[in-house]
Amino acid sequence: MLSPARLWRRARALFASRRLNDELDEEMRFHVEMETARHLGAGMTPDAAREAALRDFGAPVLHREEAGDALGVRAIQDFLADLRVGARSLLRQRTYAVVATLTLAIGIGGTTALGTAVYRVLLAPYPFPEAHRIVTLWQTDARVPGSTQEVAPGNFLDWERRAESFDLMAAAEPYSFDWTGPDGPERFSTTLVTEDFFAIQGLRPLLGRAFLPEEFAAERGGVVMLTEETWRSRFGSDTTIIGRTLDLDSASRVVVGVMPDDAMAPFGAELWAPKVLRGDEREARGEGYWQVVARHAPGVTLERSQAEMTLVAQQLAQEHPLDNGAVGAAVVTLRDAVGGGSRRSLLVLFGAVAFVMIIACVNVANLQLGEALRRRRELAVRTAIGAGHGRLVRQLLTECLLVASIGSAAGLFLAWAGIAAIRNFAPQSLWQLSRLSLDVTALLLASALAILSALAIGIMPVAAARRIRLSEALAAGVRGSAGSGRRQRANRVLVVSEVALALVLLVGAGLLFRSLTELGRTERGFATEGVLITTVQAWNYYPTAAGRVEFVRQAVDRLDALPGVLEAGMTSSLPLSWPIGAERAPVVLEGRPAAGGDQQPTARVAAISPGYLTTLGIALRAGRPFLDTDRAGSAPVALVNDAFARRHFPGVDPVGQRITMAFVGRPTSREIVGVTADVRHDGLHADPAPGVYLPHAQAPTGALHLVLRTDGETATLLPLVRAELTAMNSAMPLEEMTTMTTLVAQSLQERRFQLGLLASFSATALLLAALGIYGVMSRATAERTHEIGVRLAVGAQPSEVRWMVLRSGGGLALVGVIAGTAVALLLTRYMTAMLFGVTPLDPLTFLGSAGVLLGAALLATWLPAWRASAVDPVVALRDD
Amino acid sequence: MATSPSDRMQGTLDLLVLRVLQQARMHGWGIAQQIQLISRDVLQVNQGSLYPALRRLEERGLIGAEWGTSEHNRRARFYELSAAGRKQLARETAQWEQFVLAVTRVLQEA
Repeated sequence: MLSPARLWRRARALFASRRLNDELDEEMRFHVEMETARHLGAGMTPDAAREAALRDFGAPVLHREEAGDALGVRAIQDFLADLRVGARSLLRQRTYAVVATLTLAIGIGGTTALGTAVYRVLLAPYPFPEAHRIVTLWQTDARVPGSTQEVAPGNFLDWERRAESFDLMAAAEPYSFDWTGPDGPERFSTTLVTEDFFAIQGLRPLLGRAFLPEEFAAERGGVVMLTEETWRSRFGSDTTIIGRTLDLDSASRVVVGVMPDDAMAPFGAELWAPKVLRGDEREARGEGYWQVVARHAPGVTLERSQAEMTLVAQQLAQEHPLDNGAVGAAVVTLRDAVGGGSRRSLLVLFGAVAFVMIIACVNVANLQLGEALRRRRELAVRTAIGAGHGRLVRQLLTECLLVASIGSAAGLFLAWAGIAAIRNFAPQSLWQLSRLSLDVTALLLASALAILSALAIGIMPVAAARRIRLSEALAAGVRGSAGSGRRQRANRVLVVSEVALALVLLVGAGLLFRSLTELGRTERGFATEGVLITTVQAWNYYPTAAGRVEFVRQAVDRLDALPGVLEAGMTSSLPLSWPIGAERAPVVLEGRPAAGGDQQPTARVAAISPGYLTTLGIALRAGRPFLDTDRAGSAPVALVNDAFARRHFPGVDPVGQRITMAFVGRPTSREIVGVTADVRHDGLHADPAPGVYLPHAQAPTGALHLVLRTDGETATLLPLVRAELTAMNSAMPLEEMTTMTTLVAQSLQERRFQLGLLASFSATALLLAALGIYGVMSRATAERTHEIGVRLAVGAQPSEVRWMVLRSGGGLALVGVIAGTAVALLLTRYMTAMLFGVTPLDPLTFLGSAGVLLGAALLATWLPAWRASAVDPVVALRDD
Repeated sequence: MATSPSDRMQGTLDLLVLRVLQQARMHGWGIAQQIQLISRDVLQVNQGSLYPALRRLEERGLIGAEWGTSEHNRRARFYELSAAGRKQLARETAQWEQFVLAVTRVLQEA
């Protein structure tokens, strides 16, 4: 119906409105002149003629308006006029405008940033075609319910052969290649993959090709692929990289392709290489170190594949009772396998942000209501001179629109900053956050929030405007009434809900904070200050056991001699860090009845140098530590920790007992010569597990953490340590040196991240709630000025008036705190997994949060209270 | 075809304007005079309705307008019928005659 020609005319009318108005004026002037002439011709005097003509014609303004209306432009012109009026009006109410805009900005920005993060981690579809068919497989240990472990190669091969629920199964093994680069020896974190690994994900290489089947066989293994990230950062996105050879682990490998970063990979992986099975691995069933992925055959469900795998695992348990006796199989969906615990905390945080958003909208709506009430006289007068009810509502809505638009724009900026912050501080377990950006999802979310908030805050003034009547509004000024009871109640409800929500957030933040402090205070069992760690993999450089033992002995001696080093030691397994080699082994307790398949205990194992325990400050509870005399040829010995003693030798002195275990060598019978204190190995929050220490000389592993306790000046020591080790063996690469303080911080990284977010939100909520209370109390006292004046005039003390206001504000806050406490009591149970050392109903936290909130509320009420008491009774009574 | 009285008035004025312009191009005052004249002073065009009507017709593309010189050498805006306007005029004239016929019939025979 609106043809292009008509649209064009409308557009022209819109933009050339002034010219058209002038033309219309001229046209009407012409008309009036002609009429005047006609009247003159009929015999009137010139003045009378002109008067008659004008009278007949009517008010030009109305004509112009109607003519403009006919051109279909009236609506747009009105809107632009409303915008101008609205902007001027907002400028007059600067405080309100600023507070409202800021509130919306924070709400929208925070919600968008976190919402995008949540979406990316929890909901975003994986970039693999057929992602719903991809699952991960794990070994389970019947003796440790609920745990999942990586898979042993021998088991993988049997699973692959026997399971029919999957049409593809593959494994990935974390590994590393040493590379002699221009800056010295370096290590590339590598993932070895079996044949169908990329096929399961359905990903094509970015450049070049993937591995060919023959490259997985023993002889022709000389190829490698780069990850996209490595290709970009280490090799400068060089497209000629394909076909070049790299010298890795002293062998030449040809780069055949680059795999996109979408591929599933352990965190920080840099290279891909085909896994070539060693002979001994085919039957290896004990310790697992493979991550297995598989693809369901079409139509197979999780239940079916899990049932089948359980059966297969049982078969294997019967065929290999010693290794697989307690081994089961678990099929886990992709989403559950990745960052399980972190997902829950993200949801909790998202809930927190939603709360803040609600508070923000409530606050702005409240402010709007207050402003509308304050201006009711102005608005009533406008209605009286003919503004028209609809026009009034439109104007108020336009103001809301302005606030919402500016708030949203600011919110978008905050969202961008928030996303950048999340990206930088996100813990490693949430790898999807490493590429978080202000993308389409974020923009959509922000727009939806903006529209929602605009609607939410627009409803209030519309409702208020509807009830404005001129007489009532003017009369209200004279009597100084505080507005209708219903309006007041709505106000109070809004503020109470703000306070309640703020309390919930405060309690959450408080619980997390206490968890962190508890974690910090908990007994670790090892020293943290000034501890320097260097890691090397010595297998390739000291191929003989004797060579490795000698290397460790020399290295520890030389490093101990460095200035500033108090103690030096070596361990193959370090608390709070990723395993660099085998860390568990089955243990046979001698003199006990032979344990059946699933009774076989395992323990953590570490090969250590004699000085290690004192280096890390691990106390000795009984017996003796390792000495230099505990050598390869002498009696095999072992140390156990408290947890081991409690579990396997309750009430008995373990010293003197014997255990048999195999670690870097054949199973050996060993005598327990001492008991050490427990160490929080798996994380500050995890209970120590039973552990065994073996002297390195009797368990010559090549996976070595060299640990130094220094007097604090670690920075100057770094080059010295490097120099010593390079002098001993120039070809052996050293992992980056780290300190125990760093490791502790990393283990707390996730919690700190959560606390940081939750704390910022609760601080914002607190601020908003305080502002809300301030606003309400301000308005209440302003409206009751007359009443206060009367009270003061008849003899009330200013302090009584202050107390009255404080009580009123405090009462509001108290109701809010009680309501919020009730809600918090219900909700905090969902945080249990994130807490440590505190229960979800911790009284101290609840009381503390209530106290903080009440304090803030009282502070917010103080100013209006003081102003109330300073009212001049004479002025108040005269107030119109 | 439920029209409110004001709509019908509006529509009638539009029809009259189109018809007048069918004879010759004219400025707004001239159109008003012509209608008044031919209707023997029965239809006095409310000046307040005339110009909105002209703008309406112009926006719908049924008449065109341009500035010119009047018979008294004054600048005036002249309107003329467009091709679409001619078609619309024929259509609306037919509708009007139908309408009048129907109403007359009811008044006479009901």
